[in-house]
Amino acid sequence: MSDRPEIEIAGLGKTFGQGANAFTALQDIDLTIDTGEFFTLLGPSGCGKTTLLRLIAGFEAPTKGSLRIGGEEVAGKGPNERPVNTVFQNYALFPHMTVAQNIGFGLKMLGKPRAEVDKTTKEMLALVRMEAMADRKPSEISGGQQQRVALARALAPRPRVLLLDEPLSALDLKLRKEMQGELKRLQTETGITFVFVTHDQEEALTMSDRIAVMSAGKILQLGSPSEIYHRPSVRFVADFIGETNFLDLPVTAVESGKATVALPGGTQAEASLPDGLTPAVGDTVTTVIRPEQAQVVAPAEADMTGTLESHVFFGTDTYLHLRLPGGEPFTLRRQNTVLADEPEPGTEMPIRLTPGALRILRE
Amino acid sequence: MSAVVKPFSVRRLPGFGAIAILTFVLLYLPIVILVFYSFNAGQSQSNFEGFSLRWYAAAFANEQVQEVSVRSLWLAAAAAGIATVLATLAALGTTRVARFPGQTMIYALINQPLMVPEVVTGIALLIFVAFLKVQTGYTGMGYLVASHTAFCIPFAYLPIRARLETLDPTLESAAADLYASPVQAFRFITLPLLVPGILAGFMLSFVISLDTVVITEFVKSAGQDTLPTYMLGQLRRVVTPEMNAIATLFLALSLVIVTAFFLLTRKRG
Repeated sequence: MSDRPEIEIAGLGKTFGQGANAFTALQDIDLTIDTGEFFTLLGPSGCGKTTLLRLIAGFEAPTKGSLRIGGEEVAGKGPNERPVNTVFQNYALFPHMTVAQNIGFGLKMLGKPRAEVDKTTKEMLALVRMEAMADRKPSEISGGQQQRVALARALAPRPRVLLLDEPLSALDLKLRKEMQGELKRLQTETGITFVFVTHDQEEALTMSDRIAVMSAGKILQLGSPSEIYHRPSVRFVADFIGETNFLDLPVTAVESGKATVALPGGTQAEASLPDGLTPAVGDTVTTVIRPEQAQVVAPAEADMTGTLESHVFFGTDTYLHLRLPGGEPFTLRRQNTVLADEPEPGTEMPIRLTPGALRILRE
Repeated sequence: MSAVVKPFSVRRLPGFGAIAILTFVLLYLPIVILVFYSFNAGQSQSNFEGFSLRWYAAAFANEQVQEVSVRSLWLAAAAAGIATVLATLAALGTTRVARFPGQTMIYALINQPLMVPEVVTGIALLIFVAFLKVQTGYTGMGYLVASHTAFCIPFAYLPIRARLETLDPTLESAAADLYASPVQAFRFITLPLLVPGILAGFMLSFVISLDTVVITEFVKSAGQDTLPTYMLGQLRRVVTPEMNAIATLFLALSLVIVTAFFLLTRKRG
């Protein structure tokens, strides 16, 4: 992964309709995607991620802002004039053409000589392991195979950027896992910048170099999968990705980049702060901590104590649903590394938080 | 055995069978009789005197029949061809664009010949064409071609539009994404996928033009009889089984085209 910017987006906005019916799908997006990056736009449906993808592809024209691909402004250009190819959610394979003709279509439209089209088509068929299906029609191959053909078709013209619009959502779980690995392999082998749209947080976390979490037409947080997971900066991101405990706690001290808060029961704990946020001593802030970043410990080591209300056993782990002294619910995920007894509801459980895991949200 | 509640079925209503049989008899018996007497060796329409193909031979030898048949066929081909091109453009213009005000109105206007009684259209054309003939002095086949074309447009439009509506617009986006210009996307993606609809539209309008009587009767000038108007004219005189033979051949041709239409529209959903 190099640091050359591949896509530079500045002040990009898209509003559909006019007057009272106007709907702003994207507002003032600023974003830089680097060359060779696996970049994911993550968010619930209607958050604007697909609109952003369609603006990059050229299927929609932006209402405002600028969009550069490979250093060149493309805002006024059609999809056929951009060095970008798309893998569509429903694959959109041409039903009247064979697999090989589908894959060769982009090169043919670029006016490449027949020999080059045939050669690249063969290479692409090999890349996605579809050599045996070259002469089949799309209706004669399975969903997973169609997915691979769609990928090969979009990669064949060697675009600067490959856009993927929820390409795995139509596949069953097993195939989806397989294709996740396959996509990552293709991205590494080709070195092409991938912009991947999904609403599946697990998919985003496992595949991406960086993730932009979107909601209501805005990018709420941008960062590596572990930053997004461990250092969420707003409630939406913390809530959308993984499971989280929210605790409203008073601030007792503030240093640069971190603050001290008082846990229920009075113990002081350090919490990290999002960039640029400096709460005042005495403020109540919303903090988050993941269920696996709390452990049941001996009373002497505890940060706080919770009363067990219920538990859910699911093999590798057990969820312990606790009630803290102030009445707040708290979920703890205990790894079943030892054959622990089934806990009784009502048991008092001393809890220790993983140092540094507590996070203050910008709100 | 427990009682099974049967869903409502029209087939169990009293008299269903009788009505169904009567309907089919009324629909097909006259045609069967017509075809049957076309093979009559004698002159009669009511007294079968033995099997013969003499009336078919007579029909083929009849120069007037030849003339009106050729006229009917080329008129139908011309009208259906022009109507199909126009209908394809209309279908593209009403489905492959963002919704615009008055779209439903346009849809209704295109389909006008389906809704206005044919005789009304015929009289309107008679008056209009008569005016044009006086003004221009031109009395050729152009009027018939134009009238048939106008009348055929909705019949060509409907199957083409139906086909277009089942076409995933993402395919055109995909073509554009793969560097096809709008013209190339149409040429390589939309048009090939539209072909079954276009052929269906052509054949349907061909058959419609072929058996239109009313419009032709009102619009034609002297010496411009088509097969249906010629047959209508002959019926005013003595009816020999030659008419039956011509009608049977006409029926066979229509059946072939309608069957082809059916097969084309069924294929690929």
